Amino acid sequence: MNEDPLSGLREEPRPEFADGLHHKLRSIDTARRESRRAVPARLWPALAGATLVAAVALAFTLEPVRAAARDFLDLFRVKRFAAVPVDPERLANLQQGGLDLRSLVGDQVEVRVQPEKPVAVASVEQGALEADLQPQQPTVLPEGYTLGEVAVGRPGAFRVRLDATKLQQLAQAVGADEIEIPASWNGATIDVEMPPVLVARYQRAADAGAPAGNETSYVLFQSKNPAVELPEGVEPALLGRLALRTAGMSAAEAESFANAVDWRATLLVPVPVRGGSFREVEVNGQKGLLVTSQPTPGRTAGGGGRTRSHSVLVWATGTKVFAIHGPGGGVDLLAMAQSIR
Amino acid sequence: MDGVRLLSWLMPAVETCAVDWDEVFREELPRLFNYFRYRGFDRASAEDLTSIAFEKAWRARDRYRRERAAVTTWLLAIARHAATDHLRRLRREVPLDFEPAPAPETPESAALRADERRRLRALLAGLSPRERELIALKYGAGVTNRAIATLTGLGESNVGTILHRTIASLRARWDEGGGTS
Repeated sequence: MNEDPLSGLREEPRPEFADGLHHKLRSIDTARRESRRAVPARLWPALAGATLVAAVALAFTLEPVRAAARDFLDLFRVKRFAAVPVDPERLANLQQGGLDLRSLVGDQVEVRVQPEKPVAVASVEQGALEADLQPQQPTVLPEGYTLGEVAVGRPGAFRVRLDATKLQQLAQAVGADEIEIPASWNGATIDVEMPPVLVARYQRAADAGAPAGNETSYVLFQSKNPAVELPEGVEPALLGRLALRTAGMSAAEAESFANAVDWRATLLVPVPVRGGSFREVEVNGQKGLLVTSQPTPGRTAGGGGRTRSHSVLVWATGTKVFAIHGPGGGVDLLAMAQSIR
Repeated sequence: MDGVRLLSWLMPAVETCAVDWDEVFREELPRLFNYFRYRGFDRASAEDLTSIAFEKAWRARDRYRRERAAVTTWLLAIARHAATDHLRRLRREVPLDFEPAPAPETPESAALRADERRRLRALLAGLSPRERELIALKYGAGVTNRAIATLTGLGESNVGTILHRTIASLRARWDEGGGTS
């Protein structure tokens, strides 16, 4: 026997199969265009918020480059989350004092793929297909809740082009004199690609139309791991320390935190120092982070405040990143998360 | 930073991704179909899995980056996942079932070829899952050892070694009359 018989088993696909499949593929585009309808407005802010947090956190979450062991580019993969207390008042004071974050940070960010508003889909399975995910859903829901809206959002991709001068100015502005940004970073680019996000809302029929900020529904987000490509020579731990110092940590705290974090796999989640709490939890053997925001009784629900606490639970499985947002202190979220199959 | 290397990295990213997906479909359809056939799926299942893989790829084609992988490698990665998912659902290995493809032959040559095919598929059925996967990629999909290494995570030389041993083993069993019932 030679190798020819092995190759000889090859067959041509049936022409009718080939034609049928090609027609089916072409019809996908048509169906997609027709099925794109606006998603309920209240689903978008939740996704936008989560995406924004993830994007901001990602921008500050960069693994260390082990140049000797790796080539040119490096990848970051989320495996765990770490809360970073952020003092919004301090940031506000700094901005009143002349700190122009938009200029110092925002100008370095270039959107490469524009985020797209979530598009409603007919089912979790269809959404999973569009988001290129294995469909997973909680098998346990709070009493009376059922699956409502399902959508797929595309957070897009952006590039951070480092400006060493501006980063050094930022360090000085926040009092981080111990941080010295290498001039060689100037022009280095970091690419961040956010995969499509499958969004599923679980709600009670009786609560339809609840006022913004007081929703009683639970929203599950799932996506593949974001991809972050880093150029050689950029020391991500140093960038991380700058982010931690900007968030309000002391030099000693930032250094200690930076040394303890696995920058290759840890996503930082900014948490306000007041009005909220966080704790590490375990979800099916993976470490997650549960962040709970306290009610803001001084504001009306219609004005954007919340009259009850809400929580968000984030965790990763190695290939996927999950988040559930919903009312309460997190007991229901944990039960839902543990039941996801 | 090395400017040349920076440019070499940036250029593919800004290059227009003008892939002719209809042409990709025409060229890659036989490759994917035969990959599934060599994995041991019958013709109907191979068509189903080919459809699943192509539909998935078609929906995700906007996210294909040519600088990351050749389109064949990208499609085969999707196909491999489709096969794995299918087998997981079945929770069993499908039996190899290579029906002879219809061909305009004389009755004698057709009978001979059919007999050889039966023997061969019996021998292939005895391979380990990894050996069968590599054979499917090499002879079903017709890709290079380097592409197989990329897809499977094995080293290129390791791929060559395993394929060499597998072919040698098949040849020895063939010469011993293996595969005859």
